[in-house]
Amino acid sequence: MRDYVVDNIETRTREELFINMHPIQAAGRLTPEAMKALIAYGDGYSTCDWCRKPFRLDKIPRPPIDEFHAELAKFLGMDQARVVPGARRGFQAVASSIIEKGDSVVLSSLAHYTEFLAVEDANGVVKEIPLNEKNVITADATAQKIEDVKKESGKLPKLIMMDHIDYSFGNEHDVYGIAKIAKEYDIPFLYNGAYTIGVMPVDGRKIGADFLVGSGHKSFASPAPSGIVATKDEWAGKIFRTTQMVGDLTKRRFGIKEVEMLGCTLMGSNLIGMMASFPRIKERIKNWDEEVKKSNYFLGGFLKIEGNKVLSELPRKHTLTKVDTRGSFDKIARTHKRRGFFFSDELKDRGIVGEFPGATRIWKLNTYGLIWDQIRYLVNAFKEIAEKYGLDVSD
Amino acid sequence: MANERAVKQLFEGLFALTDLRMIFRETAPTHDFSEEQKKRAKEALDRARKAVADLEEEFNL
Repeated sequence: MRDYVVDNIETRTREELFINMHPIQAAGRLTPEAMKALIAYGDGYSTCDWCRKPFRLDKIPRPPIDEFHAELAKFLGMDQARVVPGARRGFQAVASSIIEKGDSVVLSSLAHYTEFLAVEDANGVVKEIPLNEKNVITADATAQKIEDVKKESGKLPKLIMMDHIDYSFGNEHDVYGIAKIAKEYDIPFLYNGAYTIGVMPVDGRKIGADFLVGSGHKSFASPAPSGIVATKDEWAGKIFRTTQMVGDLTKRRFGIKEVEMLGCTLMGSNLIGMMASFPRIKERIKNWDEEVKKSNYFLGGFLKIEGNKVLSELPRKHTLTKVDTRGSFDKIARTHKRRGFFFSDELKDRGIVGEFPGATRIWKLNTYGLIWDQIRYLVNAFKEIAEKYGLDVSD
Repeated sequence: MANERAVKQLFEGLFALTDLRMIFRETAPTHDFSEEQKKRAKEALDRARKAVADLEEEFNL
């Protein structure tokens, strides 16, 4: 039976029918409260019912959007926060505010592509810090890159951007050490928490970050697009500067509106969804160690299958993991009539989705939010598929 | 306002079914409910049922 919302738009039921181990969907799954927010606040300008002077989203008292902004900043150990349509808009707001033409921005060799675009949009130039042998960015490598940029261009980089957990391996990078280096060189530091803010405790002040950027739809149980940019008071005037523009004919001014935010940012159910999830977010970050434990438990079982490898650092410090099944399921795929899709078929038959369809070589998965019963089910399903095709599974 | 009560019941019904939806998610793919999940599912369905009954009564349906 296939249900439709309307015409050819299918009702999306994969979260209800399957275990979804998709690498980027896991921590964006909505809380029940966010689901209810979608029902009640789906209308376009629903957040504007109580918008009164000074007419700006973060000042609206009902529902308490103003309080949410203040609490969000506090939650992140920063002074001010804004919601934005995705982490990328946070990178853009910061880069656009402090980068000038030709300025260098030092970032990770595993930086997300939107960091590149944000720098390009500001007419800057990216300079990538190399990974060490464990696919991790260290403080020393960052210092070396800063020196290289200084030698090459005669100027220090204008900004350092660093992903705490990268999107590729899900590895943890030394953001504390890198923030310290940034301070030593007096270069502002942007912490990319797309895979951390909303799933684990993040305190910008403790880290030593000037800017924090998070993703609502990746890690804050919120609808897409949604994100967060937060900063300290010393930077707020620059990042959240208000418009000075005056109409030449009408002399109109829109003084309270923030330039980088283009006035109001995240409206309607996306914002109310974030707000509705926030109480659970504050609770769930306390269980981060348990989530990591489940990730390691699953991979322990996964590695019992002959030929399976984990390419991310071990033991895992995150629930997003890159795996290599070239020595196991890919061997089967080479001679199977369905090729790599045999693996997707077998997973689907067992109620599991989220792998890249047809991929049996190097791929990613995320166990965030699965309960222990589901984790054990996942382990057994992988072992069962391996055994079915004659792969050795150790005890 | 009679309709205010009806609208309240409408959302109560939708929210109750949303709570049931979450149980589907946490038990996927087998949907073997534990005793605690059965209790929560029953509570959600009771709320939904009551909301529907109140709506029928409100409009003499």
